[in-house]
Amino acid sequence: MTMTESPPAPAVADTPAAAPSAAHGLYDWISTTDHKRIGRMWILVAMVLLVAFAILGTFVGLERAEPATTSFFGGENSYFQMWTLYRLGMVLLVVMPLFVGLATLVVPMQVGSTNIAFPRAALLAVWSFLLGAGITIVSVLAGGGWGALDGVTGDEADAIALTLVGTGMVIVALLIAAVCIATTVVSLRTPGMNLMRVPLFAWSMLVASAVWLLTLPVAIANLILMYVDLRGGPLTLGDPEASGAIYAQIAWLVEQPQIYAFAIPVLGVIGSVVPAYAKTRQADHTLMVVMVGLFGFVAIGGWSQPYFFDSTEDVVFVAFGLLAVVPVLGVLGGSLFTLFRGEKPTGGPPAHLHGALAAAVLLFGGVASGAVRVIAPLDLAGTSAITGILNLVVFSAVAAALTGVWFWSPKISGKLVASEHGRIAILALLTGATLLGAADVVAGFYDAPDLLLFETGSDVVDPLLTASVAGGFIIAGGMVYALGGFLASFRSSNPAAGADPWDGHSLEWNTSSPPPVANFTEPPARVVSEAPLLDSAEADNDGEDA
Amino acid sequence: MVATTALPAPVAGRPRTVLVGTMFASGASMMVYFGLLAVYAHRRAEASFSGQGWFPEGTVELGPPGFIFWTLLLSVFTVQWAVQAIKNGDRTNAMWAMAITALFGAAVFNQLWFIINDIGYALADGEAEFFFFVINGTFVVFLILAVVFLALTMLRALFGSYGPRQSDGIAAAAMFWNTVVAMWSITWYVIYITK
Repeated sequence: MTMTESPPAPAVADTPAAAPSAAHGLYDWISTTDHKRIGRMWILVAMVLLVAFAILGTFVGLERAEPATTSFFGGENSYFQMWTLYRLGMVLLVVMPLFVGLATLVVPMQVGSTNIAFPRAALLAVWSFLLGAGITIVSVLAGGGWGALDGVTGDEADAIALTLVGTGMVIVALLIAAVCIATTVVSLRTPGMNLMRVPLFAWSMLVASAVWLLTLPVAIANLILMYVDLRGGPLTLGDPEASGAIYAQIAWLVEQPQIYAFAIPVLGVIGSVVPAYAKTRQADHTLMVVMVGLFGFVAIGGWSQPYFFDSTEDVVFVAFGLLAVVPVLGVLGGSLFTLFRGEKPTGGPPAHLHGALAAAVLLFGGVASGAVRVIAPLDLAGTSAITGILNLVVFSAVAAALTGVWFWSPKISGKLVASEHGRIAILALLTGATLLGAADVVAGFYDAPDLLLFETGSDVVDPLLTASVAGGFIIAGGMVYALGGFLASFRSSNPAAGADPWDGHSLEWNTSSPPPVANFTEPPARVVSEAPLLDSAEADNDGEDA
Repeated sequence: MVATTALPAPVAGRPRTVLVGTMFASGASMMVYFGLLAVYAHRRAEASFSGQGWFPEGTVELGPPGFIFWTLLLSVFTVQWAVQAIKNGDRTNAMWAMAITALFGAAVFNQLWFIINDIGYALADGEAEFFFFVINGTFVVFLILAVVFLALTMLRALFGSYGPRQSDGIAAAAMFWNTVVAMWSITWYVIYITK
């Protein structure tokens, strides 16, 4: 029989992303288009900033606990600047870059691509972020920040304007990175991998990127208005007579429901780590995908800013606050079910499983506190419960990001991070964040204000604030330890990790550690489920049985 | 005898990378603009509710912003002409279409410049004037971005990067251009028509 037609040539769009070339030396770090190097840069910068902000948070907490006798920063205004820097910095300069770094490094491999989409844009993003973060931090230290408690005077206006520019640059850089990640998941998936077969971490990053792209531009609009107003406008928006008026306009970024947007990848990390440990398929992967999407939906928070929203009794605000618990419970329930029905490997669980569980506990604490906070009769608006929820959610994200760093360390450095090291850091993070977050949530019930500038004199609130400070110290110590362990894992004397030390299920484990320049030595086989490596292992076992 | 066995259907192509990336970027750009317009609409409603005026009486004219709208509406046809032409392998027509679209962009810039100079506001005159400058200024930034995107695409088309089987770049530039047209359409209604 003769075939008279030849199959059609694949469409141009099917061509895989251009593979980067091998690169060495400083210039190549500056100009690299290898997503793994770009991802490493994000992770390293974010981890250094994490340590810095954990220490800053401790000092802010100390001054907050004893405002009458303590003055680390030299006055109420400076304290306010550091208080706002800690809150916005933990989200924009630590949590988001950590997840962006992990995703830049891991997601292309998870979807079977040779590189990230728009690698030059991804490189531009990391360098723009560095510049923006530098401008933001330096301008705050120079007396800028997001407003001043006693009104913006002429001297402060320049530094504040610079802070707004720096913040805008940071957000734009993160959005560019989000476009690269989202496009990679949508366009560069290997044949057979439909969206329901995308690994949960890659899916969570697609959802997170989409939510960031929908909401963070609204913050840019706020920044544009404030900047122009400050530089020559009628000052009706950043009212100089109003305390902290500028910060009030972007505070929605670090409050409910928007704060959840930065924790969406937490669900993805948990959903990647648990099935690999249990050596079984994720229980009801489709439901997990839907739950992550639902969490993304309830995390859309651009509308909850002072312009459009002035009542915590707003039905959408209450509904989103309560609904956020559902997807988190869904993913946690599914993961626990997977854990218990899977194999029970001998030896203690690795650090990344501890990390995933710690992240789950903290995130559940955060969304549960958030659900309580939206119950109007409890009157928690404007209290320290806001800070408590922020800290619980943010440190659940930090725990998940560190878990990801340990889990995927073979792909990051080619080496494994010592498990004992990870366990201690996670224990410190879980203990510290629980103290830090829970103490503030409970203090909120006793009407402790969110921005505490005076001694409360309360027999209940003062000990809670002291517990919160202790939590801050524990976290700072744990993060220094975590950074040390991460850097030590790069030592050449450490043994190589091997391609798949965890029996992972997704495609990133189908290549060497560290991966070659184009990620895979040969294109991955057609994918038929969300766990292609498990499929291969099962097919091999079936063959042996036969 | 020649076999007539049907060949398997080709693997469905993924959505194209440049188009998908531009879609995300266009969505984010739109959200910046929506953010500004939403704040504007809210503040105007508050002013109206409290009985204050908004723009000084008789300062906002409908003519020039309407010209901008119709110019941009024409540009939607020319930019899609470019996409269709490159898909048909007609590079000459594609270049003409893109050049005319860019010319429309320059005309819009000129008309906006006229509006801003003619209206006689100063940034610090009041809240309405402040918003007028911020929103129109932001639109100018996006318009410049769209023209630059189009110009870069034209250059690449000139050097043969695009053809019937690879028209993504031009389609992406058209998508961003249409986003900018949508921005003005909303601005025209929210700021100029409803004042």
